[in-house]
Amino acid sequence: MALLRNVPFASILACMVISVISMVFRGRIAKVLSYLLTTVLLAASLALTWYFVQGNDAFVFTMGHFGDPWGNELRAGLLESIMAAAMSLIVLAALAGGSYMIRSEIPDGKKNLFYIMADLMLASVMALIYTNDLFTSYVFIEIATISAGGLTMSRQSGHALASTARYMIMNLVGSGLCLMGITILYGTTGHLLMGSLHSAVQSLFENGSYHLPLMASLILLTVGLSIKSGLFPFHEWLPDTYSYGVTAGSALLSSVISKGYIFLLIKLYTRVFGLEVVRASHICILLFAFGTMGLIVGSLRATQAADIRRMVSYSSIAQIGYIYIALGLGTQEGVIAAVFHMLIHAFGKSMLFLSSGALIQASGGASDFISLRGSARRDIPAGIAFTVGAMSLTGVPLLGGFVSKIYIAQAAIPRGGLYVVIVLLALAASTFLNTLYFLRTVITIYRSDANAEATRHAGPVNSLFLCAMVILNFGLGIASRPLYNALLSGLNMFI
Amino acid sequence: MTILMMVLTILLPAAGALALKLIPGLDGDRKRLYLMTGCVLLADCVLAAITALCGDAEWTFLRLADSLPLMLKSDMLSRFFCVFFTVMWTVPVLYSYRYMEHEGHDRRYNMFYLLTLAALNALAFSGTAVTMYLNFEMMTLLSVALVLHEMTKDAIAAGLKYLIYSIAGATMGLLGIFYLATNTNGAVFVPGGSLDASAMTVSPTVMMIILLITIVGFGTKAGMFPMHAWLPTAHPIAPAPASAVLSGVITKAGVLCILRIIFYVVGAGFIRGTWLQQTLLTLSLLTVFMGSMMAFRTDLFKKRLAYSTVSQVSYVLMGIFMLQPTALTGSLLHIIFHSTIKTTLFLAAGAIIHQTGKTKVSELEGIGKQMPVTIWCFTLASLGLIGIPPTGGFISKWNLAQGALASGTGIFSWLGPVVLLISALLTAGYLLPVTIHGFFPGKDFDYEGLQTCECHRFMLISMILCVAFVILGGMFPGAFTAFFGRIASSLM
Repeated sequence: MALLRNVPFASILACMVISVISMVFRGRIAKVLSYLLTTVLLAASLALTWYFVQGNDAFVFTMGHFGDPWGNELRAGLLESIMAAAMSLIVLAALAGGSYMIRSEIPDGKKNLFYIMADLMLASVMALIYTNDLFTSYVFIEIATISAGGLTMSRQSGHALASTARYMIMNLVGSGLCLMGITILYGTTGHLLMGSLHSAVQSLFENGSYHLPLMASLILLTVGLSIKSGLFPFHEWLPDTYSYGVTAGSALLSSVISKGYIFLLIKLYTRVFGLEVVRASHICILLFAFGTMGLIVGSLRATQAADIRRMVSYSSIAQIGYIYIALGLGTQEGVIAAVFHMLIHAFGKSMLFLSSGALIQASGGASDFISLRGSARRDIPAGIAFTVGAMSLTGVPLLGGFVSKIYIAQAAIPRGGLYVVIVLLALAASTFLNTLYFLRTVITIYRSDANAEATRHAGPVNSLFLCAMVILNFGLGIASRPLYNALLSGLNMFI
Repeated sequence: MTILMMVLTILLPAAGALALKLIPGLDGDRKRLYLMTGCVLLADCVLAAITALCGDAEWTFLRLADSLPLMLKSDMLSRFFCVFFTVMWTVPVLYSYRYMEHEGHDRRYNMFYLLTLAALNALAFSGTAVTMYLNFEMMTLLSVALVLHEMTKDAIAAGLKYLIYSIAGATMGLLGIFYLATNTNGAVFVPGGSLDASAMTVSPTVMMIILLITIVGFGTKAGMFPMHAWLPTAHPIAPAPASAVLSGVITKAGVLCILRIIFYVVGAGFIRGTWLQQTLLTLSLLTVFMGSMMAFRTDLFKKRLAYSTVSQVSYVLMGIFMLQPTALTGSLLHIIFHSTIKTTLFLAAGAIIHQTGKTKVSELEGIGKQMPVTIWCFTLASLGLIGIPPTGGFISKWNLAQGALASGTGIFSWLGPVVLLISALLTAGYLLPVTIHGFFPGKDFDYEGLQTCECHRFMLISMILCVAFVILGGMFPGAFTAFFGRIASSLM
């Protein structure tokens, strides 16, 4: 039992070690190491989740021997362990389900780079999930940025390089803002550990001193992290990065890295500033408004996309908008709805990226809608996976997306007034637009006028992982209540 | 026991669809394919009948959130709709066996046909508004395959239009369900409704606006103005037996949802005499009139029938919005009679297309000489739709008019019957020309060139069954009127 307390630190360390070791190996061995790593991580995170479900309380793991105010700490609770399990599961599924795309899209000699970056990315996401101090957060924000850049870049095509450059510029701006926010916060409170920061911020807020620096750091951190997670109006880097990179890499970027940033933001809101301070600062309203606009703009752009991967990328902007709408409600229900939708979107979107990649491969590498006609008949598992993912995000009942819509609406109703109207209208508009682009694509890929010479490339193992994700998506929709209750108790441990 | 029967009634068609998918060699063997489909449907009819004989029951099978149960529930209305859906789904199968020869993809068609029935039965047995929404979406997504069947460019465009309208409508419905669920203990269906007007989280005016949106949303499926535009596009593009069930049966699913929202969640008392009732009545009467006018002006045969559906289903809605027991009885009667009549009409139109390839009304001169039995069925069904005794259409319209006159809704209590009469005239205007020109093509007509090309007897059987029901039901309506009267009086 006590051994499980080492899981958070060990997972981060294991990822870092494996990624360093992989440098001397060829792609094949690096691949096997990555699979092993994610499997072990998944098992360990599940064990940790089980440990918390038994009723054990959250714990703090101290790294090094420095005490407050300089120490480095990790903290694990139910919410963290669920997120860690979900993220390692998605990485495993994306790597194993997309292995043939990695094989065909990345030039020889660079293949191990992809796996190194994936391991590194997993390390940073684990750290963002478990961290309990701002210094560790900042370090791993940077590592996440670099590994994401590496993932995109490993395709080595002109488009991929250009979009990596764009990605790096936007994201480094975000990191810089985060660093400024952290510095100001440290300057005003003198603390870096979240626990001590919380009480310091609370007392500063209550006696009203240092109000401006406090607000400035809140705003800088929020803006920094929302740039990095692709919230409207900072979303312009996202479609290029997601659609020109390696397909499996896009699945990782959209489902894992951006979720790590949002999770960190949630952590800052609940564990450092406290929801009352966040609500009082009115930044919520801004997040709410931008989330709504992102939802609409992302969906509209997705309807105009002429290419399936761009469409899926734009839909990511819309879905990120959903998460920020829920977060922007500034209530505990809102936060849970946001976390829930994060999970739903992570599972649904990675499946969509993988299956659309498979459909593109089954259409001779072309990604426009005309070439894609009938591709679902050539790669049946990918067709099913795409259909299920599309329906989940459209909000068809019994799938996860519907449940998270209900949770968001239910979280909005206690806020009353304009909030409810906007949330319900936004939900309605997005459902409508999602139908327009997702279900239209579903019909397209099932059309019978196919280009006959193209065949599928996915192997049986790849398809098996896609099918497993389909089952998982159904499971999330049907058995949503236990998950919701677990998130609720996890969030209670959080605060 | 009842719960088991209920679940079986829902699951049997789904299991049948799965069997059709899995059993090899059905593609080349149409006879076996249709035999299987028919057997599954007949067995489901038996199950539905047994369920109908069992008593009330309810079963919560899942909770989405603590306050949002998903429930199956058997009450009078759900048993009626279940039997209605299943029987009306079984009748066209014989017809399909012959008709679908030239369409192809029989296996896929039958699979989705059965799956849609599963969703419809689940809709009938839904015990809460959320469950109903869930099954409503299922039904939309499964039935779109019937519209898409030919996979031509037009069919895909029509399918998309159908999807977008239906999902937009369902989302509007969901919006209302959010509010109703918070105000009525999870929006569980209780006869007479459970909305407590004195303890709502929003003001009555806001609630009424939300209700209007909800009802218009679910009214999409029933082709109610202003969300009717998909219907004349989507229904004619499907193969004839599918058009028949889309028009005759699936539109009634929208009616069922509206019935549930008004009488089982909100309660008639909350709406009676308010601007909401007047708005709804206005919308439905407008639809009745507009649908008939458009049908009158359309030359494409199946499209004309689709417009006629727009008009006729709004008769049913008008009867519901009167919030008066006799009018409601009339509505329920009109559900079954319109369904059988419209099935006959579409099947006849399909038979004509199948035998002669003619798709326009103006081309049908002398068709009565070529296909006498089909046109006789068509004529009798037309008389039913116009409302001439002793057909069933007369009984339902009589009750609708009586109910409207006794409803105390001011101007609408006489405007309703007036619009019904005008629409009946228009109905005669757009249906009877087929018969008249079909049997009496005029003096200049070339009788020599005519060849009898009556359709296969299997196709005729489906039509004759429906027509027989319309006439016999009109002559002996006692049992139906009494049963529907009981439902109606239990709700008000």
